[in-house]
Amino acid sequence: MRISSVTMFEQSTASINQQQSDFLNVSKQIASGRRVVNPSDDPQAAARAVRVDQSKAVTQQFEDSRVSARNSLSQTESILNSVSDAVTSAKTLLVQASSDTLSNVDRESIASEMRGIYETMIGQANATDGNGRYLFGGYADNAPPFVKETNADGDKFVTYQGDNNTREQRIDSSRLMPVTENGDSIFKSVPTGAGYVAEADGDNKGSVTFSGPQVTNVNDNDYGENYRVGFSVDTFGNATYQVERHTGGVTWSSDDTDGNGLPSGTWTAKNENEGLDLSFGGLSINLEGAPDNGDEILVAQAGSDQREPNLFRTMEEAIRVLETPADDAAQKADLRNTLNTSMRDLDNALDNVLTVRASAGARLNELDVVDAVGGNRMLNYEQTLSDLVDLDYVDAISEYSLRQVGLQASQQAFVDVKGMSLFDYLR
Amino acid sequence: MSMFSIGLSGLNTAQSALNTTSNNISNVYTPGYNRELPKLNEASGGTGGVQVSDTERQFNRYVADQLNSAKTQSSALQKYSEQVTQIDNLLADRDAGLAPLMQNFFSSLEDMASAPSDPASRQGVLGTAQTLSAQFRSFDGYLQDMQSNIKSEIQDEVTQINNTTKQIAGLNREIALSRAQNGEAPNSILNQRDHLISELNERMDVRLNIQDGKTYNVSLPNGQPLVTGKDSFQLEPVQSQNDPQRIVVGYSDGRGNVVELKEDLITGGALGGLMSFRQETLDKTQNQIGQLAVSLSIAFNEQHKQGVDLNGDQGEDFFNVRQPQAYSYQGNTADVDNIRFNTGGIDDLRATDYTVTFDGSGPTVTRNDNGSEVDIEWDNTTLSFGGVSMEFDAAPTNGDTFEIQPVRRAGAGMESNIADLDKIAAGKLVESEENTAISLVGVDTGAFSDGEAYNITLDGSGQLTFSGAAGYTQPTDIIVNGNTRSVDGSGMVSGLLNAGDKLEIDGVGFSIDEILSTGSGEFVFEKSDANSGDNRNALALQNLQSQNVVGGSASVSGAYGAMVSDVGNRTNITQVNLDARQGLTDQLEAVQQSESGVNLDEEAANLIRYQQYYQANAKVIDTATTIMDTILGLRG
Repeated sequence: MRISSVTMFEQSTASINQQQSDFLNVSKQIASGRRVVNPSDDPQAAARAVRVDQSKAVTQQFEDSRVSARNSLSQTESILNSVSDAVTSAKTLLVQASSDTLSNVDRESIASEMRGIYETMIGQANATDGNGRYLFGGYADNAPPFVKETNADGDKFVTYQGDNNTREQRIDSSRLMPVTENGDSIFKSVPTGAGYVAEADGDNKGSVTFSGPQVTNVNDNDYGENYRVGFSVDTFGNATYQVERHTGGVTWSSDDTDGNGLPSGTWTAKNENEGLDLSFGGLSINLEGAPDNGDEILVAQAGSDQREPNLFRTMEEAIRVLETPADDAAQKADLRNTLNTSMRDLDNALDNVLTVRASAGARLNELDVVDAVGGNRMLNYEQTLSDLVDLDYVDAISEYSLRQVGLQASQQAFVDVKGMSLFDYLR
Repeated sequence: MSMFSIGLSGLNTAQSALNTTSNNISNVYTPGYNRELPKLNEASGGTGGVQVSDTERQFNRYVADQLNSAKTQSSALQKYSEQVTQIDNLLADRDAGLAPLMQNFFSSLEDMASAPSDPASRQGVLGTAQTLSAQFRSFDGYLQDMQSNIKSEIQDEVTQINNTTKQIAGLNREIALSRAQNGEAPNSILNQRDHLISELNERMDVRLNIQDGKTYNVSLPNGQPLVTGKDSFQLEPVQSQNDPQRIVVGYSDGRGNVVELKEDLITGGALGGLMSFRQETLDKTQNQIGQLAVSLSIAFNEQHKQGVDLNGDQGEDFFNVRQPQAYSYQGNTADVDNIRFNTGGIDDLRATDYTVTFDGSGPTVTRNDNGSEVDIEWDNTTLSFGGVSMEFDAAPTNGDTFEIQPVRRAGAGMESNIADLDKIAAGKLVESEENTAISLVGVDTGAFSDGEAYNITLDGSGQLTFSGAAGYTQPTDIIVNGNTRSVDGSGMVSGLLNAGDKLEIDGVGFSIDEILSTGSGEFVFEKSDANSGDNRNALALQNLQSQNVVGGSASVSGAYGAMVSDVGNRTNITQVNLDARQGLTDQLEAVQQSESGVNLDEEAANLIRYQQYYQANAKVIDTATTIMDTILGLRG
């Protein structure tokens, strides 16, 4: 074929151009360390890289979320730890205080120790996280959740101002984890199955004291109902008692759920030897002493509407009774009954705090597990991403030398073509 | 005839041949030059000697035609590739593209969910939202710059085409003239004309018609003439009828009327490449960016409205959204009065433009990208389709046509609307109890304007009753499936409800999942207390990243990935096609050159040949002189 001079030059320059652009392409890849520099280099890989990158970013988000979840849960756990210590010391003090050999003064000094524990506990209940947010206020985390108020009698008591929400965080694609506990669940709850607590009414004037209640039969049909034992004393000093069952609101019934009458009768149990054992609803309680007209003893399930748990109130009650001198029989009965109730309540509260703490601990463990899984996932994504878009240097460098040779060859070819002209020989 | 005249004819011929060779050599690099060969003949008249009968132009019409059509296609691809590479480069940066900014945005929402009232985490959300929306705007700005560059390139190309056709018409005239005078036109003019035809083909696809083997007539592929003999017709860049922002090519007939040429009529050449790039890739990419911006903004705004901010107010729009664009054709009786996104049907939003046409039976809406008809809702005032709702200022009549661009420039209008830290609604606005019969679906702007708590009962017959107990509000009316229904003094809603009904009560939307067969379902909902630690809406906002908010089928990052893949594929295919087409063009060029191109070695040989030819002929004359001298010497 006839070749025109223009074709010869153009072909040489075109091939140099081609080689040069291929060469530059490889050097661009080597410089950036990426096989896919522009999406057009490998559209499928580029699009998949966007998706893998997104998954990676989401995994990173969850990882960040776990860091703050862990932070908040470990703070909760450490505070609950001190709270459970405080409850334990309070219980020890109450055991000490219930000894009959103590004088009023001794009890007062125990009361002041109790007050110290009480104040510490309020401080812990109002703990804040690193950002100044109250840990146990639920969503209402910008004000102290436990506030001291004074009632009409001038007594100070603590109320809960938070709500009963728990803040959740997304720690994994399908796991919303509660990362806080609210004051309600820590200080105003009992674990399920906490059993019964008996409590003498604050207005009791007689000297009836109780011991128990003991659960005798959990399979009893009426187990789980709330009861009260009421006393009435006529003008002649004849006392009777009546057990009643709570049926809702302010109404009480003297029958059990099957319609059979609950225990009632003439009161004879005046002292220890003559204590009266009452059995109802699978429970038994022992009562003794001299009632006054209208005296009441409540026997209710811990955590029920009739007896809402409140650790602070328990402490307040115990402190009140320890600070009051126990001189007459009624005061002594009050002391004994209140300490009795308070110790039960403290046991329940301790169980509750430990339960909550265990649940926080379990979540911390879960975080560790999810962390490990998330870490693996992250590694996988990074590997995939690298497989998709990163450069295989061995390939690239051999390609680089190949292109170099190609470029040099085409340049040489141009020089040779240029040098070959018939005119050179016409001299 | 004497040796003198024979030798002389040889000398003349050799000179002429040397001239031709020199002309070949001097024009070796002239574009459009066709090599010439002297055509030698024995002198006529039977007296001996030689003559140059013709200086022949080595030009092959068939090869030239093939080369022209190959060049049309490769220059179209060249232009296309030049442009699409720019978008490819735009999407190349994995660290500064849209994807990482969206990731940052959602990760800042995660921070806010961890510490909902922390000013630093809230500032993070505002900051990343601003960066993200700025990036959307800059993407759109980049693409819009490309649009305006293409606009001016089209204008340039049209000017060049007009110049070329004018020159061809002029050359047609000159050629006809010199044919009339000399019977033959000079090769240089013929070369020039063929070269202009080849140049014209590189600008756009045209048809060449040779009349009587001498006059070139050029027409558009649809037959409209550009050059007929000595006349040329002009193309003009004109505003598109359906989109005043757009420049298209118009054909100006002899009487000065300008007719808009359809965009797909102009196929090959640089002009065709520009047009098809604009239509296939640029518009689409811009629409995709817009769709992404609108889908993300609207999904985010809707979720944000379900939240409550630190001041206890309902969340406002988080992002500003640029509303759709509508253009009315000239001669329409009606104009578009109000056009907006239909947040309820936003899943139907697609990255395309639409044409709305009214005929006797009402409106027909077709997608501009694939020409398919879409489902519409039309109640004689409001037209809804593809995530857009619109009204007209008058009743549209037959033949009224509108161009609707829902998301074309939406990227440019994405802005974060919230500047105040407190206004991020991280908490949940509506507190409601779990209920199997009724579920919360959404919240409108201005929810809880009449009251803060509602207590409703839905009985087995489907009667909905509002409780008037203390603390609860009884509204005077509610909206059921878009229609207002009154509520009487005792709180009873007029008419019974059915499963699947959509309710709106004081701006809060519900759906009825079932009507309980026994008893009645009670449902209480109220405005939340807006506590600082409430992060429920922040979690819901964060969760949007994994929800299919774009067209109801893809997450934002998935849609972005699809766009990257789309542009990448297009660039890749264009590149491959260009390489293939360029190879073919190069081959044809070599074929054309092998016939018409100058080879310097050949010309060098010819130089020597014709030099020797000249010398030989001179020797003939010399010999004749010697002979003559000999004869003359006989006398002396």
